[in-house]
Amino acid sequence: MKKDDLDLAIIGSGPSGLAAAVKARQKGIKNLVVFERDERPGGILPQCIHSGFGLEKFKEELTGPEYANRYIKMAQDLGIDIQLDSTVLELGKDRSIKVVSENKGIRTYNCKTLVLAMGCRERARGSLDIPGTRPAGIFTAGQAQRLINIEGLMPGKEAVILGSGDIGMIMARRLTLEGAQVKAVLEILPYTSGLIRNEVQCLHDFNIPLLLEHTVAEIHGEYRVEGVTVIRVDQRRNPIPGSERFISCDTLLLSVGLIPENELTKMAGLAIDLSSGGPYVDELMETRTPGLFACGNVLHVSDMVDNVSLEGELAAEGAFLRINDKGYVSGGIIDLKADSGISQVVPQRCTRERDVWLNLRVRDPMGKMKIHVGDIMKTTFASARPGEMIRVKIPKKALQELGPADTTLKLRCEEV
Amino acid sequence: MNNEIPVQEGYSGEYDIIVIGAGIIGSMIARELSRFQIRGALIDKEPFPGFGVTKSGMAQIHSTDFCPPGTLKGKLCLDAPAKFKRLAGLLDVTYREVDELWLALESSQIANIEAAKERGEGHGATGYEIIGAERIRELEPHVTEKAVSALYIRGLGVIHPTEWSFALTENAAQNGIETYFNTSVLNIQKAENRQYVIQTSRGAFKTKSIVNAAGLFADEIAWMVQDHHIRLTLRKGSVAILDKSVSHLVRHMIFGTFSETHSQNVAPTAHGNLILGIHYTKTDNKGDTSVDREGIEKIMKLARELVPALSKRDIITSFAGIMAGNTMTGNGDFYIAPSEHAPDLIHVIAGAPGLTAAPGIAELVVKMLSDAGIELEEKKAFQEKRKGWPLFSAALLDKQKEMIASNPKFGHIVCRCEQVTEGEVTEAIHRGAGTLDAVKHVTRAGMGRCQGGFCGSIVLGLLSRGLGIPPQEVTKKGGRSFIAEGAMGE
Ligand SMILES: Cc1cc2nc3c(=O)[nH]c(=O)nc-3n(C[C@H](O)[C@H](O)[C@H](O)COP(=O)(O)OP(=O)(O)OC[C@H]3O[C@@H](n4cnc5c(N)ncnc54)[C@H](O)[C@@H]3O)c2cc1C
Repeated sequence: MKKDDLDLAIIGSGPSGLAAAVKARQKGIKNLVVFERDERPGGILPQCIHSGFGLEKFKEELTGPEYANRYIKMAQDLGIDIQLDSTVLELGKDRSIKVVSENKGIRTYNCKTLVLAMGCRERARGSLDIPGTRPAGIFTAGQAQRLINIEGLMPGKEAVILGSGDIGMIMARRLTLEGAQVKAVLEILPYTSGLIRNEVQCLHDFNIPLLLEHTVAEIHGEYRVEGVTVIRVDQRRNPIPGSERFISCDTLLLSVGLIPENELTKMAGLAIDLSSGGPYVDELMETRTPGLFACGNVLHVSDMVDNVSLEGELAAEGAFLRINDKGYVSGGIIDLKADSGISQVVPQRCTRERDVWLNLRVRDPMGKMKIHVGDIMKTTFASARPGEMIRVKIPKKALQELGPADTTLKLRCEEV
Repeated sequence: MNNEIPVQEGYSGEYDIIVIGAGIIGSMIARELSRFQIRGALIDKEPFPGFGVTKSGMAQIHSTDFCPPGTLKGKLCLDAPAKFKRLAGLLDVTYREVDELWLALESSQIANIEAAKERGEGHGATGYEIIGAERIRELEPHVTEKAVSALYIRGLGVIHPTEWSFALTENAAQNGIETYFNTSVLNIQKAENRQYVIQTSRGAFKTKSIVNAAGLFADEIAWMVQDHHIRLTLRKGSVAILDKSVSHLVRHMIFGTFSETHSQNVAPTAHGNLILGIHYTKTDNKGDTSVDREGIEKIMKLARELVPALSKRDIITSFAGIMAGNTMTGNGDFYIAPSEHAPDLIHVIAGAPGLTAAPGIAELVVKMLSDAGIELEEKKAFQEKRKGWPLFSAALLDKQKEMIASNPKFGHIVCRCEQVTEGEVTEAIHRGAGTLDAVKHVTRAGMGRCQGGFCGSIVLGLLSRGLGIPPQEVTKKGGRSFIAEGAMGE
């Protein structure tokens, strides 16, 4: 057996990675390093200069950079080693990593435990098959956000936004505030895919036209975008011929979904849950490889940074148990399965050792509804939308009352 | 590479030979001409070589099995893989050896592959084999169970055509050929002393001879010299690229059936993705490189008939190229001939597989120029080698360490999907890649699954710094294709 160089390596310094690092150090894990490929810590947060972060965690409304800075400060105060400009190129099945950076060159580490916190990327035009030309002026919403907030450049003067994800709606407001005209936000579904809060505060409050059940049929312009043809879709999302309309614009922003970045995860031989987009984990975010944890957007795309930080803390708890060879599991594993009305469940399995927080998404928007956790409990919610994560806590006690033969809990929902 | 020629009254000098068009064919010709003691220039309207049809093909170096008997293209494609392989060593560019499997999906199709074998061998190619179902499965386990037999040709290859065009123009320039990009040919006049005057968007050139390698625009160039018999026929070919995570599914260039509307083909690319093609549609617009949903569906359907495990979910991008045929030859053959009015102006009208034939075409054109009385004397100091820069992602660990030791910027990953470093991007910019698309094509930064979502703004910054211009002046592909519409607060 090779000796381990690190007790804990954390890949990514976004909110999940930083929370994991802070918690791990507080629990006494000393030999830990956070690797970050960017030149600054914080992940995607430094470019999210709008407010709305930290309501649960800090009980105040912070901007993205402020939220990140709290964690960065905590990490610094605890003397945590965050290596910036450091890209992890490879993750072995044996929990070894290969890292490269400008100032330190290439190095490899064997790690006793690892937390994967690489975040997600935005779906690009190529995977959407939007017909048309290939001019400049097509950006993902996050790219445009980075351009404005970090580089100080305006992506364009007249924009159409395809997709009503949160970053897209936030960018609609941002562009408007910067003097650009947002001519429309198009959403193929009959409802926005981001948070209601963003729909109201970013679109309605600024009188930005929201065209539900619409998509882009064609992009025009040779050098720079000159306009888009938009088209209505039917209930099955098929374009309705004859409903085409040209909107002139110089910019098209895409806010059509986020994809967990699991290239390293796959390299380590882990299977990906196609409904969540991330690896399978238990309630302490441990993947099917002992000692390898995943949290944050690499696991499933979250709409609340506070939850992401909590996941990081759970992963740190798990890593702590593994490093100290504390009994991790006993009493039999329970599989958590999405059933009627539910599209995804994270974690996908749990032990009976502690309270378990479930993250669920519903398939379709609903009014007042109930979530059933097997037959052991149910919770009522005033409403639910696919764009919003639902969190349900299963108390440890309820799990321990299950018989040894109860190895599956089905999650389902019903409108009431 | 972006030599500014003064826009002027007179001429920027007198040339022996000017090549119009720096696609794979024009670049190959320019490099071949650079062996000789001539004053030559290569002109292209795009900001970078290989940005015409060349950038949008399947990029395969074929054998002669697609060339009808007795055709010029059959002659020019013979031994193409060996020529490319040799050049790859000299030019320090990627050539990936890939074998061909042309499948018969039912017994009635066996006649097609037998005919292809006969056709290919008729041109002199060797090493063809017809294999059975079991052998197919051994070679390519994910191929459809319907495959009953296949034509198996070993030792073909795939390249990245823009990388090659760039390397060829660099090597030509090293040997004294002047290169002018962002330079459109607007008109050609006959002057005194049997000379031509080429009017361009950036000044005039006087030359003794011209090679028209303008690809899709070769007809328009021909019309400038009254060769009105040159007519092209166009069709659009659409293809799709898949994420590298499914690359293990296909190791050969696999073909199925061919028709007016498709060439059924799934193959690896030089850089390890899979490419699916080709769906054809009629077009009369040379700039029409859009791909519609129906096109994607068709491509996917064709591909899944060959390899059922492929999925639309894995498409990272799609694009189209215009394929040029001509009305002069009738049987789809190339038309490479001097002007009807003068032997010292050569038209090169090559459709598919023009990439494969490029080295053969270059040799032929040199011979035609020599026959036309242009003096071609070999240079003693011809430098046949060109040096690229090391690819970080492809290098072994020791080499990677050495790269970083020589320049720490090789330790800074700019494009995470393709693992391209700042060292590579800076080198490419320094050597003439002056747009986002040019950088993408020669370094692969932005070619991966996120399609530049993350690295786009970093490359923008490096371009701005490298070119010494403000970021809002950086373009995607020249002209007015500015990435940003001004700085904030303007
Ligand atoms: C979908 C598709 C798949 C293909 N697959 C293959 C394959 O697998 N194997 C193969 O061998 N072949 C293939 N081909 C064919 C091959 O790509 C072409 O034959 C080849 O690239 C043609 O090269 P070119 O240099 O003639 O043309 P181009 O690359 O178009 O070069 C012409 C150049 O001339 C310049 N130009 C034009 N007009 C002017 C002007 N007025 N002034 C200045 N410059 C001008 C253009 O900017 C351009 O750079 C494929 C083609 C398509 C469309």
